[in-house]
Amino acid sequence: MMWRKHKAWMVPLGALSLLFLYGMMGEMAWGDNSKCLSCHQDEKLSKKDARGNTVSLFVSEGEFKKSVHGQISCTDCHTRILDDSHAQKKVKKADLKVDCGTCHEESEKIYKTSVHRLKAEISCKECHGHHYVAPLTNPKSATYRTNLIQTCGACHGEEGKQFAESVHGVGLFRGRPNHPTCTTCHGTHGIKPRSDPDSAVHERKIAMTTCPQCHAAEQITKEYRFTTKPVKSYYDSFHGLSYRGGDTFSANCASCHGVHDIRAASDPKSMIHKDNLQKTCGVCHPKASVNFSKGKIHTLADIRGVDFGEKVVGWVRIVYIILIVAVIGGLSFFNFMDWLRKTVDRRPKE
Amino acid sequence: MAKKYLRMTLNERIQHLNLAINFTILVITGFALKYPEAFWASPITDVPLGMTFRGFLHRLSGVATVTLGGYHLLYLAFTERGRRIVIDMIPMWKDAKDLWETLKNNLFLNRPAKVIKMGRFNFREKLEYLGLIWGTIVMTVTGFILWFKEEWLLFFPMWTFEVARAIHFYEAILATLTIIVWHFYSVVWNPDVYPMSWAWINGHLTEHEMELEHGSELERIKAEEKGTPVHFNEGSGAGGGRAYPIHQERREKFSVKGLYGLVRHLNESIKNWRGM
Repeated sequence: MMWRKHKAWMVPLGALSLLFLYGMMGEMAWGDNSKCLSCHQDEKLSKKDARGNTVSLFVSEGEFKKSVHGQISCTDCHTRILDDSHAQKKVKKADLKVDCGTCHEESEKIYKTSVHRLKAEISCKECHGHHYVAPLTNPKSATYRTNLIQTCGACHGEEGKQFAESVHGVGLFRGRPNHPTCTTCHGTHGIKPRSDPDSAVHERKIAMTTCPQCHAAEQITKEYRFTTKPVKSYYDSFHGLSYRGGDTFSANCASCHGVHDIRAASDPKSMIHKDNLQKTCGVCHPKASVNFSKGKIHTLADIRGVDFGEKVVGWVRIVYIILIVAVIGGLSFFNFMDWLRKTVDRRPKE
Repeated sequence: MAKKYLRMTLNERIQHLNLAINFTILVITGFALKYPEAFWASPITDVPLGMTFRGFLHRLSGVATVTLGGYHLLYLAFTERGRRIVIDMIPMWKDAKDLWETLKNNLFLNRPAKVIKMGRFNFREKLEYLGLIWGTIVMTVTGFILWFKEEWLLFFPMWTFEVARAIHFYEAILATLTIIVWHFYSVVWNPDVYPMSWAWINGHLTEHEMELEHGSELERIKAEEKGTPVHFNEGSGAGGGRAYPIHQERREKFSVKGLYGLVRHLNESIKNWRGM
């Protein structure tokens, strides 16, 4: 058999088939977006959606190249667009949907449990944008710390407005690092409703993780010159102790300080401003008197404390500890000697 | 049959049981608040509304204890036996000496050991009883401040509330430890009474127990008996004030001890049977 011995004929055939495969890949594959942009560069290109609204189909090449996805091709995301005939054909809407989860698996998995997915139709693009997705660190990104108030505020307007005026929001917009934004408390992809026990802002978590993540953090408290005392003293107060035991009727941080509109105690609009305290306490303690609003709440027993009450409680503590050690120590010693003597007396006689 | 001496009437035993139960509830429900993550608190903290129920139970038991205290005051004031208790409970110089001599005995400083004859209430019991009264007053006052904070803060500044909270906690530790160290030693771990002094259940002490812990009282009773023999039973409210001998019923209707004797007697008879 000649063709088995002389294999030189395989070379042109192989080359031909490779060329054939390459030809089959089509012109739109891998890296070259010029074919798409030849139409979509047109700023007037638009379509009408199911509700009759005009949707722009314009994609700016320059902006897209600058985005975090600038190096990948249109068809990497728009996988269902097989050829340039998509514009003429009646293509199903679902076929046009972009599946970010192909690459961003983890985010997709977490997102699927979120309230935005389960109770609403907020998908990736609503927060991250379409073609010009910028990284989290880019100040122009929709998900940049300060821009989140706008991004989330598109739907949660009232909360965004309250937050922008709060002590957290003001600091955030002044560009201070570490100041919280929406996601600091609520989480990112897996945002859950407040009633969900897994939610970062569930009432069982507010005073355990949500606020203490910063207000009990040594570095942050040192940098901004506030103390971890409120958290520590809360845990040892009646409210905190009962809360730690699972009581949901007792006050947590948000009960007194508010939620989005947390303000400094010196702010007259603050829930904990001295003029408003009686009202704030009155939510749970209707008979709250003036003395309720006087005096410090977040105090720790300490004889060197700033507050008079702190000093007194500190001394009470010391006196009682000495008393307990002396009394219980004395009684234990007395009884132990008594027991020893009686045991010695009872030892079997030789 | 050794003679028995009445220690606690039925009324007093019920008071004691009442206090024991309420005290235990107060200790558990109170410390469950202070140490909510402790393993023993999980039956309270794991249940929905557990902490709410804990607070309710703590207040309920507190009220019960205060009511019991009020009843006890009435008992002390309006019964003959009660008034006698008050008189016998007054701390005397002799109690301090008894304590000192006991310590010296135990440390082998008195050689040979002195025989200490103590009254109806020895220094142990006086110390504990007076401590209990002190503790109950402190816990009642601070407890009610914590309960009725709105009313309290009408007249007093906030820091007094914090002080009351601290005192309530530390006094609770002191009280609990005192019961464990002092009371439980006196009535349980004390080798003279171990495994337990039965007075809180059957109400009486044996002559041996009286000799050890209430020597002078025993002598007094015996002297009194020689003069005027008295017949008192513990049921009567007017018990004459002191501990008096109970006249034992010869035959008990049914008891395990009797049954045991019967079986043993039967065994002996079978073993010693030498045929017809």
